[in-house]
Amino acid sequence: MNLWTSGRLRLFAAVWIVFNGVFPVLWILFTSLKPEAELVRKPITWWPHSPTLMHYQHAFTEQPLLHYLGNSLIVASLSTLLSLGVATGAAYAIARLNLRYRQWILTAIVASSMFPLIALLVPIFEIMRSLGLLNSYTALILPYTVLNLPVCTLVLVSFFQSIPRDLENAAMIDGCSRIGALWHVVIPLAAPGVFTAGILAFVNAWDEFLLALSLNASAAMRTAPVGIAMYQGEYTFPWPLISAALIVTIIPVALLIALFQERVIGGLTQGGLKG
Amino acid sequence: MKSWRDPSEKTLALLLLAPAFFLIALIVIYPVGKLIYTSLFDMQLSGGARALEFVGLRNFEDALKDKEFWHATRNTLLITAITVPGALVVGLGLALLANWPFRYKWVVRLSLLLPWALPLSFCGLIFAWFFHTDYGIVNDVLRLLGAPEPTMWLLNPSWAMAAICLTIIWKTSSFMALILLAGLQMIPRSLYEAAQVDGATRWQQFWQVTLPLLVPSIVVALIFRTLTALQTFDIPYTMTKGGPGSSTETLAMLIHKTTIDYLDLGYGSALAVFMFLMSMLVTAVYLRQIGKQA
Repeated sequence: MNLWTSGRLRLFAAVWIVFNGVFPVLWILFTSLKPEAELVRKPITWWPHSPTLMHYQHAFTEQPLLHYLGNSLIVASLSTLLSLGVATGAAYAIARLNLRYRQWILTAIVASSMFPLIALLVPIFEIMRSLGLLNSYTALILPYTVLNLPVCTLVLVSFFQSIPRDLENAAMIDGCSRIGALWHVVIPLAAPGVFTAGILAFVNAWDEFLLALSLNASAAMRTAPVGIAMYQGEYTFPWPLISAALIVTIIPVALLIALFQERVIGGLTQGGLKG
Repeated sequence: MKSWRDPSEKTLALLLLAPAFFLIALIVIYPVGKLIYTSLFDMQLSGGARALEFVGLRNFEDALKDKEFWHATRNTLLITAITVPGALVVGLGLALLANWPFRYKWVVRLSLLLPWALPLSFCGLIFAWFFHTDYGIVNDVLRLLGAPEPTMWLLNPSWAMAAICLTIIWKTSSFMALILLAGLQMIPRSLYEAAQVDGATRWQQFWQVTLPLLVPSIVVALIFRTLTALQTFDIPYTMTKGGPGSSTETLAMLIHKTTIDYLDLGYGSALAVFMFLMSMLVTAVYLRQIGKQA
């Protein structure tokens, strides 16, 4: 009796969590598959009665969605690579090298993420404007790199600390320089950490809206979130088109988190709890 | 072990840290200085080339007399006061449910991760469609439950605020749940066994064992949530653009409008300084808390 109820409760819990997390995206998926006529029928239909991929086609032809996705990909990948490079160096120095005030240095890097982005936006806009960098990839790549530094550094520091020093020492006794040991021994062992940090950084950059909207608003330089938010006209809201574009843009990120969920959760809670 | 103390190591450490510090200086430190500097000037880029005029604290005085500033601040604090406890309660509920041993753990994990991975701006768009007066699913469910009239969610100031808060709670509670779940999983099982031996009910176990041990995770999650709630921008921007009128405009949206749309950088900077001070206050509380825990 007790087992039966707890089994049912458990099922209820699981169904509730899944419903809560997935339903909004599922609903948008349904919307994107309904033909125009079905969308304005009242009362509304839930399940698409005559599904169509028409809106997906239109999402790419009526708006330069592919171009927006390309911009997002360039900005997110380059800023991720740059964050990883910079954070790896900093994290290695903090975790391994004979450094005074290491805790202070780590705190300072983490504290940089405590500054409100909206307050930094005003001077960053002013700086990028005077440098003529508005509507350029650089305008987003540099801030995104810095935004992702704290979480990347935190994740990497704890990975470096988990690698036994003896391995490194052995490599150096065998004639490796310290940089050589870092490159040949430590980084390969920390690869899962680098990878985790990379996913977090990529998702953050892919999702960012405020800076992309403010610094790169010209049609040619919009990232996908900004481009799609601007589909809405003054009075019209092309919902099926927006829905299809949302689904397309969510897919890469959804795949990343589906494939690497344990790492993502590990990285998030590390960054969150220690930060 | 001499190699760990050789002097070249210090040089190497500085070299490895230099890029991080250079970037932080460029994108955080220098801008903060520039923000404070610009806030003391009349700097409007829209009216053609105009001489930069030093005005002292006048931008701040103007802000304090500006009804829109107070209105936006009130909205921001209201959103913070509703969504931070809201996300905590919902997130704690999700975390407690997710802490049960499931056979298909990955499904549960993915369901908690998906809202986190969704861009805030997309949540705003998705929920604007949810709350659509004619074709939204929320009104359809209400109709099935017997509501006589469709609610004009995003066209009425109070309902619009409610819809925005619900959206923010949905979006942020999953991350909260992930943080709290990590905290829950660190509580040793033996404590519950001991409580059971002492005859504690499940309810008592929750209040006497779970909650006290979860407090550190809760405090950290709350402070992070508060910091982001103060900066609320994406969701109201994509759901209502601050409307109807300016009834759902947040301080972040006012700063964005003043700076980016009206190019009034001096006044925008002064508003941003207020935002900055509010965040610093929360951060100071946080650092004190960390100090207490350490």
